Order: sequence, then C-alpha cells, then structure tokens
Amino acid sequence: MDRVLEVDSVVTRFGAETVHDGVSFSVARGEVVALIGASGTGKSVLLKEIIGLLRPTAGRIRLLGTDVWGSSPAALNELRRRFGMLFQDGALFSSLTVAENIAVPFRENTDLPMDIIAPLAGFKLALVGLPPETGRKTPAQLSGGMRKRAALARALALEPEILFLDEPTSGLDPVGARAFDSLVRLLCDSLGLTAFIVTHDLDTLLSIIDRVIVLSAGKVIADGPVARVMRAEDRWIREYFAARAPAVA
Amino acid sequence: MMKSHGCSWLLSFPRDAGDEVLEHGIEDGTSVLYLSGVWRLSNLGAIVDALRSLKLDAGRTFVLDGSRLEALDTAAGFTLFRHLAGLGCSESMVSGRGFDQRHSRLLRLVHERMKCPPAAARSIHLGLVQRVGAAAINLWRLLVSHNAFVGAVALDALDLVPRPRRFRLRETVSQFESAGLDAVPIVALVTFLIGVVFAYLLGQQALRYGANIFVVDGVGLAICRELSPLLAAVIVAGRSGAAFTAQIGTMKVQEEIDAISTLGLSPIQVLVVPRLAAITVALPLLVFVGDAAGIAGGMLVAAWQLDLPPQTFIDRLHDALALKQVVVGLVKAPVFAVFIALIACRMGMLVSRDARSVGVNTTSTVVQCIVWVILIDAVFAVVLQHLEI
Repeated sequence: MDRVLEVDSVVTRFGAETVHDGVSFSVARGEVVALIGASGTGKSVLLKEIIGLLRPTAGRIRLLGTDVWGSSPAALNELRRRFGMLFQDGALFSSLTVAENIAVPFRENTDLPMDIIAPLAGFKLALVGLPPETGRKTPAQLSGGMRKRAALARALALEPEILFLDEPTSGLDPVGARAFDSLVRLLCDSLGLTAFIVTHDLDTLLSIIDRVIVLSAGKVIADGPVARVMRAEDRWIREYFAARAPAVA
Repeated sequence: MMKSHGCSWLLSFPRDAGDEVLEHGIEDGTSVLYLSGVWRLSNLGAIVDALRSLKLDAGRTFVLDGSRLEALDTAAGFTLFRHLAGLGCSESMVSGRGFDQRHSRLLRLVHERMKCPPAAARSIHLGLVQRVGAAAINLWRLLVSHNAFVGAVALDALDLVPRPRRFRLRETVSQFESAGLDAVPIVALVTFLIGVVFAYLLGQQALRYGANIFVVDGVGLAICRELSPLLAAVIVAGRSGAAFTAQIGTMKVQEEIDAISTLGLSPIQVLVVPRLAAITVALPLLVFVGDAAGIAGGMLVAAWQLDLPPQTFIDRLHDALALKQVVVGLVKAPVFAVFIALIACRMGMLVSRDARSVGVNTTSTVVQCIVWVILIDAVFAVVLQHLEI
C-alpha cells in the first residue's frame, strides 16, 4: 500500500503538559480520513506538526515520503508545494482579491506568465463551484461558505497530492456544510486526492469519510471505518455518536 | 510516430520541451491527437507551447488519445480544453480514447466545471484623471460624513446633560491617563529640544547686533503661542489619535460596537465622549508643560551661549511675554483636541471587517489630524491678526 502519511509515536509536551503521548497512524493514497477527538486533545496541534509548522517533542512524521522534521528547510519547502492546507477560517489574504489570492501560489512557485495564470485562477474558482464574478471581490465581501470554497481553490492551486482540512464545515449552515462535504469527496475521487480532515462534524463523518481516527488522552483510541468505530466501547466515542441520536429519532 | 498524409494537417512536434507532450497524426483517415508524457502544472509551459503551435482544421472531427499519458492534473486538462475551444472545436467534434480511468474522471470534472466561463482576474487600472476624480469624490464624502458624525456626537453629548450619571468617568480618567499623563515626558522632551534649537539659532543672529536680550522675547512668543500647541497636538495626534482608531477599529472588527448597541447603549456615549473629554482636558495641560519645557530649553542656551543668566532671562520674560500670548496658545489646544478626537474615533468607526483596514484607517487618522491641526492653526493666526489679539 502506498502510504502518503505516516505518523510514528509522536509525543508533544508544552511545559509539564503532555498533549500527545505516542500517537501513531498512517494514511494511504486516495483515502479520505477524519481525525476526531474532544476539544483540547491536540488535533490542531497534530495537524500543525504534520504540515511542518510546529515541531513535536519526539517521534517521526513522514509526509509523501519525506521526513518532515528531519529534512532541510529547502526540502520542506519542496514538500509544501505537494500538499494543500485549508485553514479553519480560510486565511485568505485580506489585501488581495479572491482571484489574486488563488494566483499567489502560481506566481510564487511557477514561472508561468500572467496570461496563463489568470484563466487558471478563474478555472480553480469554477472547480470549487464559485461564480466567475467572485474573483473580483475581496475576502471580506464573501460569506463564510464562499470564503471556504475560495480558500479551497487556493489550496488546490498547485495540484496537491494530499489535502489537509481544519474544521472545513465549522460556521457553515447544514446545507452549505453538506454541499462542501460532497465537493471535497468529488474532488478527491476525480483528482485522486488524499484528504486528511480534522473535524467535529458528525454529518461529515457519516457522509464522506472512509476511515476515522479518534484521539483521546494523548493516544489514538480507535482507528477504522466509521461503522466499526461507532460501535467502540469507549465512553467518549459512544457519547460523540449518541449526540446525533435525538435529531435522528 | 504517425506519418502525415493529408496536407490539411500541419504536424507539430515541440522539440524544445525535452519530452514531447503532443503528437498529431492520421490513422485510418481520422486525425488523432496523442497526449503523451507528463501533463502537469510543472510542465505547463511546454504544454502551452505545444498547443499554441498546433493548428487544426476548423470543422473536422478528431480523436484525443490518452494511452501514452503518464500523468494528468486539472491545470493541464483545463489548458487543453481551453485551447481546443479557442481553436474552434466544439464538444461534438472531439472524442476520447485510451484514457486511464482516473484521467477520464478528472477530464470529465474539468469539462463539467468549465461550462461557467473563467473569470478575468485582472484588476482595473484607472487613468490619472479618473484617480483624481475618485479621490476628490471620496474626500468630499468623507468630509460630509465627518460632519454628520460631529452632529451625532453633539446630540449624544447633549443627551448626557440631563443624565450626568451616564457619563463614563472611569473610562474618561483612564483615557486621560494614557493620552495625557503618559505623554508628558515626550511632550516635555520635544518642546525642550525645540526651545534649545530655537534659542540657539535666534541667538546666532542676535549676537551680531548685540541684541542678546531679545532672544527671550522670541523664544517666549514662539514657544507659547505657536510651537508648543502645535507640537503637543501633533504628538497627541500620533499617539492617542492612532490609538483611538486602532482600538475602536479592532472593536468594530470583533463586532463589539454592535454588541454595545444591542445592549441598549450608545457607542458614541460609551467610546467617543470619554475619549473626546479626556484629550480636550489633557491637551491644554500638555501645552502648558510644553511652554515650561520650551522656555527652560531657551533659558539653558541663553545662559550658556548668550551670557544671559536665568534671573535676567526670567525678568525679561516677565516684561516681554504678555499673558494673552500664553492664553492664545492654551485656547487653541482644546480646539485641536476636539478635531483629533472626532477624526480618530470616526476613522475607527469606519473600519470594515478586515485586518488591513485597521492599518489603513490608523494611518489616515494621523495624516488627517496633522493636516487639520495645521489648517486650524493657520485660521487662528489669520483671525487673531484681524482681531488684533
């Protein structure tokens, strides 16, 4: 199996507080994987460690065959072009228009001329289902859902092999959230992308996820298909999946 | 490589690209376009070159062959479709074959999403005349809205008169501390140094005529009437004006202003009136500190360079500096303060919900405040001259 992400006994400590106490898992190419866990279990911290923003106290992380924390800054930058990251609130640059935001990765990482970049940026907007006139707006003029789509277009700009999404549906209404979920799944299936999603959203989990990894008390307590993890004995997992029950009943 | 029979087809082999990405041939009378090698963003330059040198007969059907394709991404797929469309190929004229399942899925998505035409990503560049016009209109609108804001502040402040308990004394005192007391050292330092410089330069000239004593007149008048009020106002505009805009602007970004309104409070009474009151009281006091520091600076130079002992300096100052000159300086200060507070709070309220506009408005506050302070100072000079004060 072609593993694109391997997290091997990662330990993270902030002072005396241990956030991760030997976290290990791996993700195969083409999988859509979710990482869940209660607030404060270090999901976002783990994501930052994987994409090379925060150094873990111990352990190894291999992303697309590169040791994230054992390689040179140049190799790390090379690696950064091969994955896309969707930040929680989009993190679009507020001083640029949406089209300029999407053009940034092309301008900085390729030597393509503007007359190729501009239509490409426009196409990326269409790819995430945004109308063309969105390109001329500034991020402040967009709704939450549109901002996430625009940020997704920027994350997809350099044709990443793996896509990291931090709480992609938070702050969206249920209709918008489901539409965003199916967009992510469609892109993963059509483009052969691997997706690693940090989420709280149970509906995301039940609709588009192949495999779920549960983080609790610094360890991975469950790892497998959603249907199997749902039946796990752990109290937090039971409460998490039960949270939906009243709405269903 | 296919041999070309029909002259209607011009062959295209991008030789400079290293790997060939596009081949064109005739097979059983049908023209076939072979995509080969790596069709990825990293190779897009070569792909575009190959596509640009490709010439197709309009109106003829042809086959796209993907069997030699090693890799394909959306950027390359989009570029392919866009060029084919540009060459006048309609959907019905192209058929695909030999594509890997992954590649055909990708192409299908690209094709489907391309139905909405791509946006032009260019920003609009205005000509000189348009820019000047737009700037003039924006300035006019800003001045009109400043005017409306002055009215709103006046009404809300008047509203406090029958209900003095609503006046936020604690907030006012805290603003007074940061805008007034904390500014004392910097105002004293700056005016002291200006007093030193002014007395030194004036003294150089006065020495030539043996008119040393008149340096006292010059320093006293210039510092008290003009320099100290102006410098104190500029410092307060830069320190407190910028702080007011940034504080209120950040609150605007965080929707705190809306929260204040929702709680049934007036944002003007809560935020603007205390700041306005605080610097209206603080600025005259700072000007007085500046007067003293500037004169002290002049006195130092006089004693050191012009043989005027402090006692002589003070005696002369007593005769030469009329009280009204000092009063004029002190009267200007609250007027400056009102303008600074109103502009700074107004620009804070005008912040829109993005990070950049806090910075833009803070800069604008400082520029506007300094310009207004100098303008008002000029008006004071002319009017007081006519009134012979």
